[in-house]
Amino acid sequence: MFRRDVLKSAAILGAGLALPAGLDILIDSCDAAPRPDLAVATGQSPAAITRAAIDALGGMSKFVSSGDVVVVKPNIGWDRLPEYAATTNPEVVATIVQMCFEAGAKRVKVFDNPVNDARRCYTQSGIAAAAKKAGADVSYVDSRKFSERIINGQVLKQWPLYDEVFADKIINVPIAKHHGLSKLTLAMKNWMGIMGGSRGKIHQRIDESLVDISRVMNPALTILDAVRILTRNGPQGGNLRDVKKLNTVIASTDQVAVDSYGATLFGMKGRDLGYVRLAAKSGLGVMDLSKMRIKKVKA
Amino acid sequence: MIRRLRIISQAIFLLLFFFLFLQTESKGMDDLGYPVRLFLDFDPLILITTLLSAHAVSVAFYLSLIMIALTAVFGRVFCGWACPLGTLHNLVGAMKKAKDRLDLAKWHRLKYFILIFLIASSLFTLQITGIMDPISLLIRSLSVSVYPAFNSAVNSSFDAVQQLNIQSLADITESINSFVKKTLLSFEQPYFQQAAFIGLIFFSILGLNLYQRRFWCKYLCPLGALLGVISRYSLMKRSVSEGCTSCGVCAGKCQANAIVGEPAGDGKAWRPAECIACHNCDDVCKVKAVKFGFRKSAEPVALDLGRRRVITSALAGVVAVPLLRSAPISKKEYSEPALIRPPGSLTEREFLQRCVKCGECMKVCITNGLQPTLLEAGLEGLWSPMLVPRIGYCEHRCTLCGQVCPTGAIKQLTPEEKMEVKIGHAVIDKGRCLPYAYGQPCIVCEEVCPTPQKAIWYEEVTVRDRNGKKVTVKQPRVDLEQCIGCGICENKCPVKGQPAIYVLSAGESRSQENQILL
Repeated sequence: MFRRDVLKSAAILGAGLALPAGLDILIDSCDAAPRPDLAVATGQSPAAITRAAIDALGGMSKFVSSGDVVVVKPNIGWDRLPEYAATTNPEVVATIVQMCFEAGAKRVKVFDNPVNDARRCYTQSGIAAAAKKAGADVSYVDSRKFSERIINGQVLKQWPLYDEVFADKIINVPIAKHHGLSKLTLAMKNWMGIMGGSRGKIHQRIDESLVDISRVMNPALTILDAVRILTRNGPQGGNLRDVKKLNTVIASTDQVAVDSYGATLFGMKGRDLGYVRLAAKSGLGVMDLSKMRIKKVKA
Repeated sequence: MIRRLRIISQAIFLLLFFFLFLQTESKGMDDLGYPVRLFLDFDPLILITTLLSAHAVSVAFYLSLIMIALTAVFGRVFCGWACPLGTLHNLVGAMKKAKDRLDLAKWHRLKYFILIFLIASSLFTLQITGIMDPISLLIRSLSVSVYPAFNSAVNSSFDAVQQLNIQSLADITESINSFVKKTLLSFEQPYFQQAAFIGLIFFSILGLNLYQRRFWCKYLCPLGALLGVISRYSLMKRSVSEGCTSCGVCAGKCQANAIVGEPAGDGKAWRPAECIACHNCDDVCKVKAVKFGFRKSAEPVALDLGRRRVITSALAGVVAVPLLRSAPISKKEYSEPALIRPPGSLTEREFLQRCVKCGECMKVCITNGLQPTLLEAGLEGLWSPMLVPRIGYCEHRCTLCGQVCPTGAIKQLTPEEKMEVKIGHAVIDKGRCLPYAYGQPCIVCEEVCPTPQKAIWYEEVTVRDRNGKKVTVKQPRVDLEQCIGCGICENKCPVKGQPAIYVLSAGESRSQENQILL
């Protein structure tokens, strides 16, 4: 299953690179340099910066093919309004859904397995309404649709994961927040939202568990919402004084790189996060930002 | 003709009742959007007993004055035309073939004794009407027992089909399933303590119809009794014209034993207090001798309860007050640690003076955490709501229980007020908590703690494992100033069975005595 996805995305990537330069107007109009590994877009409009970040990586059609069923996985974990920065920005989610359809996606599914009551989380976060309006299938997690999956990781050998997440493509859309135990919750931690079972237990070996679970998830794209970030009392917040507006969206195909860059938003380094260190060491992605082509755009 | 109208009216009210019942569930917004407690608002028995017991009542209850006025004009039309429990009795009664025997002819007085008992006890501040008030009884039984059972039955049927693994069948049932789920089923399967017990009582009451139709309405219902007392003076009267052949057919069709004169069953003598205006008698009369109208009835039979019996019932109601309050829970300084009341609950005394145990709050509770008490609040508080965090915590921004409470036992709070209210406090069991007892990282409790400044904080402590290796763990601590007792920590604590953090009622905002801090 995973191998097939890897092959598929490799094929797509290959196809994208093989395009004659003259045909790919988008890339050419930006610059002639090779595509960046990570894009950082800043600006007032969450929709515009989301679009700019993805376009900087070559556009959504580089990651989503015509006829794909795409899962867009935001963080809808808490019953909070968008201003509190506990859940992914609804405009960012809606823009991604829209871009998936523009790239020819057949269906786009949006869901999360929240900690608070799902109905309140979906409604109060504004994500359900925004994603639905953009055309996505927004559904609550169905407890019957979890199956035990082989993970064979360092700590997690197997775990019940949500069936629906294994679509043609998955786009991880976390929000950047403080977290008591893991210091920050960014992209890799967002996979907790597809886990079933007694997931609180993974706190006992949080760093290893996050790497294990991230290894079996193979996102076509990771888009970190840093329009607002939660700097204290995370991951749930509740105090507007703990929220900082950065008007930033970060995108990459490398989830470790996203988390490493995400750490800098909080005045930390990637190496300060146990799971980023561990992930880089095991070859899941790149932690060292100096080794990455980072493109900053304004929108 | 009128009988047919009555049946249509019964169907409409029953459907309305079920519709409102199904709407007593969150859709994620702060408000429900429907007046889900409407039937309770129209219940004059709750109005009167709450006024007596608590000397106050929420404004919506004055709607029940409309019911009193209607009864004064048309008699017990509520019982015959609208009461959802009455209609269910009709439906179950239809399963019975044989004619009702009238050997309990004098037992109809029992419901008046029950009414007198309840009113007398409420006069002395005891509110236990809800145990027998038909609307409270019905909503409670459906919420806690029948509806969860229905959910479970439907879900397991779909699961059974799914397990057959026939693809074509599975596709069909899956689409039916999603439709049923959206319209009829609960968002998540509810579970309640005492579900089977409360259900057993409810089904026994329905089962009595197989002995005598509308057994409950004839002999037990205190609301029926109250409306009966009013309908003695109602303007609408039954009259029988000269043409009556005394065939007695009408008496046999009467739903409420209202036509039982001497000689028995001649069809003329009529008890206005018993009549529920079902119009079976005029419908069945072959010679069209029976009429209802605003004329004087020829032979109304007076309601004769007997002075001694009335006094005894009233005395029993009075005696019940100190009797039920002689348990330790009534002691002022005593507080039951497990009795975590919903947010916005009045002080325990005031709460019990109002709560009618209708179960609306338990139905609407978003996490299924509100459960019926057994003896935690004494026998007086039987089936009143308490939070059992291991089953479900109090959702931080949810205010639904206060919105649906008919009597104001749980105040209606704004989300801002609600988030400030304390319903208890969390206690850490260091003998079970992973970072304390086993040197294992965890702090799930800190992660899920919803207060803006987290009530659960942690201290980084370096401990040694059995090999002498140093391990740094974060040990959670509870800040009593911040903790609101919502119980999400207990609910999400990964230590199975007896959790390593749990909530007790002390510290609740509503009480002056039940406090820990200075």
